[in-house]
Amino acid sequence: MMKKCLLFLCIVLSHQLKAQLLGIRHYRIDVSDKNIRIFTFIKKSSGYIYLGTSNGLYKFDGIKFTLIPFKNNVTNSSITAIFEDNHKQLWIGMESGDIGRVLSGAVSLFNPEEGTPKKMITSFIQDKLDKIWFSTNGEGLYYMENKHLYNINTDDGLPDKYVHTLALADNGDVIAGTDQGLSICSISGHKKNILNLSSKNGLPDNLIKVIEPAGDNNFYIGMQDGGICIYDHTNKKFIIDQTSTVKYGQVNAIMVSQNKLWIGTEDKGLLKQTGLNGLVNEVETGGKNSNINNILQDNEGNVWLLANNNELIKTSGERVSLIVNYQPGDFEKVHAILYDNQSDIFRATPHGLIKYYKNNETKKQRIFNIHELDEKTSITALYQDINDHIWIGTMGKGLFLLNEISGEYRKINEDRMLSNGSVLSITGKGNEIFISTLEGAVHFSVTKDPSISVPMNYKEYKGLDSIGTNYIYNIFQDSKGRIWFASDGKYISVLENGKFINYNDKNGIKDKVIYSITEDIKGNIWFSTHSDGIYKFDGRIFKNYSVIDGLSDIDISAVKTDHQGNIIIVYKKGIDILNPETGQVSYLNASQGIKEINVQDLGTVAQDSSGSILVSTTDGIICYNQLTQAIHQPRTILENVQLFFSDIDKDSIHTFSYNENSFSFSFTGLYYTDPESIQYKYKLEGYDTHWLVTKDRTIPFPKLSPGKYTFRVRSSINQIFNDTDEASFEFTIEKPIWTTWWFILLCLISSGGLLYWFIKLRERNVKKVGQLQQEKIIFQFETLRNQVNPHFLFNSFNTLITIIEDDPKMAVEYVEQLSDFFRNIVSYRDKDVITIKEELRLLQTYLFIQKKRFGNNLDLIIDVSEEEQLNNFIPPLTLQLLAENAIKHNAVSKETPLSINIYIEDDHIVVSNNINIRISRAEGAGMGLQNIVNRYNLLSKKNVIIKNDIKHFVVSLPTLKKQVR
Amino acid sequence: MYKRILITLNLIILLGSSFKEPLTIYNVQKGLVSFRSDAPLELINPISNELRGIVETQKKEFAFSINIKSFSGFNSAIQKEHFNENYLESNKYPTATFIGKIIEDIDFTKNTIVSVRAKGILTIHGVPQERIIKSELTIRNGVISIRSNFTVLLEDHNIPIPKVVHEKLASEIKVEVNGELKPK
Repeated sequence: MMKKCLLFLCIVLSHQLKAQLLGIRHYRIDVSDKNIRIFTFIKKSSGYIYLGTSNGLYKFDGIKFTLIPFKNNVTNSSITAIFEDNHKQLWIGMESGDIGRVLSGAVSLFNPEEGTPKKMITSFIQDKLDKIWFSTNGEGLYYMENKHLYNINTDDGLPDKYVHTLALADNGDVIAGTDQGLSICSISGHKKNILNLSSKNGLPDNLIKVIEPAGDNNFYIGMQDGGICIYDHTNKKFIIDQTSTVKYGQVNAIMVSQNKLWIGTEDKGLLKQTGLNGLVNEVETGGKNSNINNILQDNEGNVWLLANNNELIKTSGERVSLIVNYQPGDFEKVHAILYDNQSDIFRATPHGLIKYYKNNETKKQRIFNIHELDEKTSITALYQDINDHIWIGTMGKGLFLLNEISGEYRKINEDRMLSNGSVLSITGKGNEIFISTLEGAVHFSVTKDPSISVPMNYKEYKGLDSIGTNYIYNIFQDSKGRIWFASDGKYISVLENGKFINYNDKNGIKDKVIYSITEDIKGNIWFSTHSDGIYKFDGRIFKNYSVIDGLSDIDISAVKTDHQGNIIIVYKKGIDILNPETGQVSYLNASQGIKEINVQDLGTVAQDSSGSILVSTTDGIICYNQLTQAIHQPRTILENVQLFFSDIDKDSIHTFSYNENSFSFSFTGLYYTDPESIQYKYKLEGYDTHWLVTKDRTIPFPKLSPGKYTFRVRSSINQIFNDTDEASFEFTIEKPIWTTWWFILLCLISSGGLLYWFIKLRERNVKKVGQLQQEKIIFQFETLRNQVNPHFLFNSFNTLITIIEDDPKMAVEYVEQLSDFFRNIVSYRDKDVITIKEELRLLQTYLFIQKKRFGNNLDLIIDVSEEEQLNNFIPPLTLQLLAENAIKHNAVSKETPLSINIYIEDDHIVVSNNINIRISRAEGAGMGLQNIVNRYNLLSKKNVIIKNDIKHFVVSLPTLKKQVR
Repeated sequence: MYKRILITLNLIILLGSSFKEPLTIYNVQKGLVSFRSDAPLELINPISNELRGIVETQKKEFAFSINIKSFSGFNSAIQKEHFNENYLESNKYPTATFIGKIIEDIDFTKNTIVSVRAKGILTIHGVPQERIIKSELTIRNGVISIRSNFTVLLEDHNIPIPKVVHEKLASEIKVEVNGELKPK
């Protein structure tokens, strides 16, 4: 019954197959038909690729190159080195030796007191003390410390003044690659410590072109003529690469990705090597790219090459690569593939298998033929068990077990059903193997045994009859030990505690045909259907994922789980990668160079122990590697915020005045994998009520009204914006000052205050007027009382009597004067002010009367010009009262004559008289003077000045320029 | 290294007349050094015309020196005394020197104006510091005019600033050197 057969063993010629990169795209920078030379490039922490070119610094977003202008005038704009320091500051080094920094969107030249080099800048590094170092071609290297620039050159012990590259060791040493070997530099205080390592120390070639960190204080060294080697800085030793099969030529660049070395050479193009001493492959990069200047990997895992100093090349990198090339016709014949425990690949042929493997670091193939098979039969399923035996399931010819080392195989005849059965899939876990056939499902238990001859225990799943079909596409044992069956026509069933449970349309599954089952890290079961996308079963409900959820296609041939827990969905045109946590989907498709995938055969999707997934495409077998650090969604970057079409400093300015109200926002969803697919969703909170979807990268918002706003933008590769990266800008447009509550309040308070002040002023005026009136009345009363003072009349009449007798003519004049005096008193008493002339006339009348009494003993001297008399005003009867007071209070006699002087001095009319105190004081003394003072207080700001120096009594009355009211 | 240069340069000066190729050695004929301490409370700007020095154009080596005591133009006599005795200790360290090599290659036979950088050891107050000093050279009919401005940090040369004069003395001293060199 058990038949042992010997296999035809055939080792095909070892093939120097050129490994192939996928998703290759070429870019050039053309400015007015002139091709720009590209010297260097870096990936900034933001994810952006910056390029140093003969035309200056460019930023590349995957679609267009944006020139970062120079702030200064430069004669040579060639940028040969770019570096991002720990503060995200971008430094540039130029062919001219100049150093620049990117400050607010432009390159500003750095101008230290020491001057800048005159030779090309080749490299920068920042050491552990934050010192910036840079190397030159011809002036050694420089470092900046404490405002000074210091040089290290051959006079300090550097082996050569040409330094091509710098690297930083774990202990803070700077490793410089020169034309004469490695130079380990450090600074202690101001002392330069330099250790040179060259061919004497085991370096294969002294001319060092590149130093790339290799981890653990080791560095890959790329040389001009010595290929690559490793420098172990801890032991200051070199580890030589023994690979002799490939001549490197000059190494320009080394990049490490997924433990593989990408090597850019001067003459041999791009090489890939599986670590030091590993297999070296020349890699096709499309076109004649014999010269690879630089290599970098973006955040998504794409690998970028700088070729021929003028070309930028994008590749899909390690994420997806073509690992087996098909010859014409192979694609249709391959119905099953297998990734074995050694990461060797088996593929089915009509007669058996081909194994692709490496031997002595060369790629080889081995052919296994199975005699029972012919052109018409096909191998549909492959599986490797714990004994490393290969299980081979066929269509119509049963199941075979192969020992790939000895080449022996046998037909598995244990179960009658399998003898000439048609196997649809073989799956397993540990020592349990599940075979699904057109007739039903069988379960094998294998024991650890190197021989293929040992009979195995098996069990048919008879219970499947209860489901109603034996047509099982896939059997899957989950982490809880449940066994799931994907059926054709009867949905999905699970064997749990010895019982079959069928989930179907009643549970919300809309497709009867289930092809493939997997489980995510959280224990959810995922399965693919014939034409309804995939489903997730969380133990309670079945959730469907379809095109509206971001899937590319609903005809899914397989679902797998990668090692990061992503659900890998294989369909005809590519692979969708679904993050079960976020629901985000990213894509590998034609834009990464994937052509048609075989979805006819369920056996053409394989997975190895590291989680990598193989699919069979028209070009050959491609491998998808999930990269540990890679991001699968675009990063949203708010490029700039413009106010009236000019950039503002969006990091510091967030408040605008009411007339600064026209904004525009520019943004980028950085996604180099497929930049054209990016769509944006944005919303200006405070203005838009809904999110808007656009492909535009600049959105204007003219004439915003005052208020608080937040501009939010997200980018997506598939219009599904849940959990995608968001950039935002919060800002406030302030209300015009006159609409702010505090301004209104201030206005109210100040107008209230003004009104209060006005009222107070008016009140005071009214009071003043009233007071003036009262004072006037008092004064009038006083004057009248004085003038009708019986003494005055009595004295006047006595004088009159004397005159009548002596000189009747004079008596008439005297009476005339007296009546004139009283008339004037009466006519002026209602006025507030009169001219000085009028007052003086009144005074003279009065004095005439008094003079008749006192004769020459009373003298009045007036020294006021006519003009002054007319232009100056005075309250009526003031001078008269002062003269009267003088007469009243002083003795007027021949011995003591009284002289009254009236003159103008400093805008004052002054009444001065000599003092001869009268023994008996007249009545009402002081009343009149006080009244004058009071009246002046109401009429003028200036005060009445009264001076009494024993000899003279002087009263200065401010003259009033205008008639008050 | 620099000591050696100094010794050789001194030898050249001493035996200058006996050398066969005197054209490669240039001597300072006229030289002014001024420094400027621009502190919040006081500006000090003394000057000296006693710059001495030579440049050997073939090897691009040079040596300059200045007598510290020759500086004059202080704001007061007491200030000069302090400068010499307290700060620069000119009895102990009578000269300041700058000895080194020019980084750029220059053709000293051509009439030209070029900016060059000199890398050397600047010794002030007895403390040597490596410096790169940028200078403008004007070469006209065999006469080299040097003009350079640079900053000296007092801290770099262990020149202490007493706390009291902190507002009167800048921690960064601006130095200007003007010199005219002719072939020996």
